Amino acid sequence: MALADLIGQNSVLPALKANSKKQLLQELAAKASEVTGLAEREVFDVILQRERLGSTGVGNGIAIPHGKLSSLDRIVGIFARLDQPVEFEALDDQPVDLVFLLLAPEGAGADHLKALSRIARVMRDSDMVAKLRATDNAASLYAFLTDEKASNAA
Amino acid sequence: MDTFYIVTLASMSLILIAAFSSLLAERFGAPLLLLFLLIGLVAGVDGLGIDFSNNSAAYMLGSIALAIILFDSGYGTSLQSFRQAAMPALTLATVGVLFTAILFGLAARFLLGFSWLEGLLLGSIVGSTDAAAVFFLLRAGGINIQDKVRSTLEVESGTNDPMAIFLTAALVGIIASGEGLESAGPDLLILFVEQIGLGLVLGLGGGVLIVQIIRRVPVERGLAPIFVLSLALLVFAYTSAIGGSGFLAVYVAGIYAGNKKMQSKASIRRFQEGMTWLAQIVMFLVLGLLATPSQFPQIALPAIGLAIFLVFIARPLAVWLCLLPFDLNQRETGFVAWVGLRGAVSILLAILPILGNLENGQLYFNTTFIVVMVSLAIQGWTIKPIARRLGLIVPPQIGAIDKLELDLPGTANHELLAYRVVADSPVLRGERIPRWARPSLVIRDGKSMRYQYAGRLRENDQVYLFIAPGYSRLLDRLFASKVAVSANDTEFFGTFTIDPSRSGEELDRAYGPGLLSDADKSMTIAELMEQRLGGKPDYADRVRIGRIILIVRQTDEQGAAKTIGISLEPVAAVSRLPLFLNLREIIQMVRDYARKRQT
Repeated sequence: MALADLIGQNSVLPALKANSKKQLLQELAAKASEVTGLAEREVFDVILQRERLGSTGVGNGIAIPHGKLSSLDRIVGIFARLDQPVEFEALDDQPVDLVFLLLAPEGAGADHLKALSRIARVMRDSDMVAKLRATDNAASLYAFLTDEKASNAA
Repeated sequence: MDTFYIVTLASMSLILIAAFSSLLAERFGAPLLLLFLLIGLVAGVDGLGIDFSNNSAAYMLGSIALAIILFDSGYGTSLQSFRQAAMPALTLATVGVLFTAILFGLAARFLLGFSWLEGLLLGSIVGSTDAAAVFFLLRAGGINIQDKVRSTLEVESGTNDPMAIFLTAALVGIIASGEGLESAGPDLLILFVEQIGLGLVLGLGGGVLIVQIIRRVPVERGLAPIFVLSLALLVFAYTSAIGGSGFLAVYVAGIYAGNKKMQSKASIRRFQEGMTWLAQIVMFLVLGLLATPSQFPQIALPAIGLAIFLVFIARPLAVWLCLLPFDLNQRETGFVAWVGLRGAVSILLAILPILGNLENGQLYFNTTFIVVMVSLAIQGWTIKPIARRLGLIVPPQIGAIDKLELDLPGTANHELLAYRVVADSPVLRGERIPRWARPSLVIRDGKSMRYQYAGRLRENDQVYLFIAPGYSRLLDRLFASKVAVSANDTEFFGTFTIDPSRSGEELDRAYGPGLLSDADKSMTIAELMEQRLGGKPDYADRVRIGRIILIVRQTDEQGAAKTIGISLEPVAAVSRLPLFLNLREIIQMVRDYARKRQT
């Protein structure tokens, strides 16, 4: 599964500003609502619920919040890069500045997990992460993430 | 009488050289057992000229050594690991040996021009993995391989020798008598049932006997290990004498005894460890001495060909077929396939055709010898890097500790532990030792003082504590140096972490639907794991739930799970090649493929 299937040009937030984890999730929900047409509140509730199960901060300044929505008809990703990292209760206690939100339809069992592990794999590549941190240009961020060659090598 | 001293001198020198070589092996990571074998070869008839060719003496010596090793293997296997690995391991140990023997027999027919039965005999000889080699190499170098895989391999290697020994003995009999397989068929089956049945029953009985005797009879502490080992060998000999599998019996007795509370456990353990070393050295040395390497070149090429066939085709194929119905993923099955170490047992069995006066007797022996050397070299040398590549090494939860366990006479309810205080450990940073641990004595700069008066602990202090057995792991954490979080942790524990006190309902909502039944949903994740594991979840324990795997990532001071990792690995294929998939994965793949074709 390629990341290009999950995010579009308009689902990248290149220089998001947030002061807290909650505000970050709210901003992401707002963007997701804009992309999908779902209610912002609904998206926010779902990802907050998942955070209660355990933080999705996977370490190294990266978070991959995710959730499932019955009203969604496809898997949707939102990528955000923060200028100032925020505290995210991550396992390694490092604040987070790269966030990939993944929303999936209720019935997308295997595909949801496949997409998640794909994102995790791409975000584990240190070259990729360095490139993403180095620019605040939405088009280049999108290009890095969807570059097939790079994401396959990860 | 002179010869007696010379023989003693020579054999002790060899044992010493072998023991010394362990230092060398540690340095270069060479498989130590291969080194023992080589030392035997070098000292033997074509090297330094020790002419040892007494086949039956070698067979007897080797059998006793093997019995000692098997008893110790069983003794060190916890019942929980055994239960977890029993089904896949026993399938490998029975059907797996047969598959390997048949595949290898086919290859031997072509490469050595053997008849079908002779090929099968050679296949049976090399059919079992070597308990000594597997146990040794899986623990060597201080690595900790994932419990399920390690237990599967260990239980397999402990239980497949009886199968190989049985097949070999039976086939030698059939070939020697000149009859075909057909006429002996039914008898063979009865013989098999008898061997295994007697081995199991007498082994269990022997285990009970050992535990009872040690508990009831007030034996001198120094004698306890002697009692245990002699009783174990008694069980071995008696079972074999009345037609059961003595090797199976000692292994079973070992498992039973090792999992019961007994006095003098620590000294038994230590004695056992030393005896196993000695048994390994003697067995490999003697077998090396017995061989005549000048005969090797004539058959070297086909033998190496067979060894490569065994390592890369026969074993992987047999393992894959046996593990189809079980829940091991690609990496796990791949590793099991790779660790098909052959060793002394195979060489030992290769003596049987010579003892049975079969035509080509020496050919079996020489071929087997080469196969074992190749297997020890290729597989033995690569276990650690391969395990690391496959992400099967459990990241250490705590750093290094420096600990000594001491036996207390007369009681099984207390243990005396001595820890050295190391840099970066929690006690050094001021964390308190719990009261139940009863810290009693501190030795600082060679002076002993009572704990109460020692003040704050310093580096290199030696602390003595009395505790109830089973609690020492909680103390280990306090005395361990710090361990760094490494990138491999994600590989092992999965990407995400969750809190075990949350409910199954929430887990189902996030990764379902259909992950859990309604009854499961009402439990917490910790309870759910405990139920599936059949016991308290421990560090690095894994539970599969539908398409995800939950892994205990951190435990608290009481040993309860604190953080659980979620691995999504089962859906992310490791390799594009459809190798080592299990049945469930194959069905899933076919379904995915069919779905893609439709759309």
